[in-house]
Amino acid sequence: MTKAKQAQNQRSSKGQMRVIEAVMASLIVVSAVAFLYAFAATPSSQPQETSELEKIGHNVLHDIDEQGLLARFVYRCEWANLTSALVVSLPTNVYFNLTVYDVNGNPISHPLMQYGNQQVFDSSKAVASVSYIVPGYQTNYSPRILVLKLVRG
Amino acid sequence: MRMARQKKGQFIIIAALMLSIMIIAISTVIYGTVTYYRQERWEEYVTIVDSIKTASCNLLQIGLANYSQTSNPYVLRDYFNQWMRDVRKAYPGFGVGLSYSLASGIRSAYGVSLNYSLGLARTWNQQVSFSASDATVDIDVASLGLSGYNFSSHVFLKMNIRETKWYYKETQRYVLTYVSVDEEGLEPVVNLQKSNFEVKLSGLPQTFSIKRYYSSTYKCFIYEIRIPSDPAGNPPSSVEVALLDTRRIKTVSYTTDIKPEG
Repeated sequence: MTKAKQAQNQRSSKGQMRVIEAVMASLIVVSAVAFLYAFAATPSSQPQETSELEKIGHNVLHDIDEQGLLARFVYRCEWANLTSALVVSLPTNVYFNLTVYDVNGNPISHPLMQYGNQQVFDSSKAVASVSYIVPGYQTNYSPRILVLKLVRG
Repeated sequence: MRMARQKKGQFIIIAALMLSIMIIAISTVIYGTVTYYRQERWEEYVTIVDSIKTASCNLLQIGLANYSQTSNPYVLRDYFNQWMRDVRKAYPGFGVGLSYSLASGIRSAYGVSLNYSLGLARTWNQQVSFSASDATVDIDVASLGLSGYNFSSHVFLKMNIRETKWYYKETQRYVLTYVSVDEEGLEPVVNLQKSNFEVKLSGLPQTFSIKRYYSSTYKCFIYEIRIPSDPAGNPPSSVEVALLDTRRIKTVSYTTDIKPEG
């Protein structure tokens, strides 16, 4: 009888230890995850947004260039056509402002090539800027630098 | 027995500790990997390199167009020298550096051996004529730690006078010449208009009409050029077709192989 009671006591203390061990192990794992969560710096959406807009802007300019239209628009000063091509190619909620410079940084495109209200550009914190270079047109070398600024409306 | 049980208990704690260390270590590595591009302004660098690459390829085309019209053999070298300086100006603060090497000597392009000099080659006044340019460009971006990114680019225009026939009928006489045009990758050029061609018979400029279609005879896209000739005249001694494509690259094909057809 005494032996049986002793065995029962041993079993119950063994069970308690298992519970304590499990709780301790869980605490260790949870504290590790909590530690990671506390130190993980989640990126803010602003740089991501700018990066996304840069990608869109570059792709659109590249596509227009691949079609052989970009150089024509720039060197024949077809600014209205260039603006229309960008309006058509960019998503509707993306506003842009495009300026064309020569290689010394002097602006060439006098009329304002812009889609969207200027206020949107002034108030937006995430303005993406894409530089795209066009070396020349037909047989002439005369580089032009296109600076395309993009914001989401 | 008791010692054994105690060891078993310690093992669970140690296992949990090791598991925690593994979670932290793996998470740190994965987090560092997936966020690397954000720290490195990756998109900005990719767009710069891509922009320079596209522009360099366009420059090769502009150089060839100029050479094919002016015959200036140094034009591509001069353009690339200027391009090296201007790229640095265009992207200040990025440490962009560009170097180039122009093709030289005999090289094969799309199954044809062309003799390049300063990146340019042309074979004109033959039944199959070519204009081509070839260069290798290296791009370094110091601010990224990128160096030695290089690519080769080539521009190519080929015109082939497939066949020329002189028809001498009682009412009218005319020359029909069948021409195929290919560019890089031996892709057929299908968007040419009458204004892209000039035709000479026996060295004299001619008026002509043009039709374009896929020919099952030649198994390629063909420009059929019809040139009316003097009803009382003799067959022409030669046919010369000059082509200025939409990129302003020129090539001239020439043949004396004219088949009379009654």
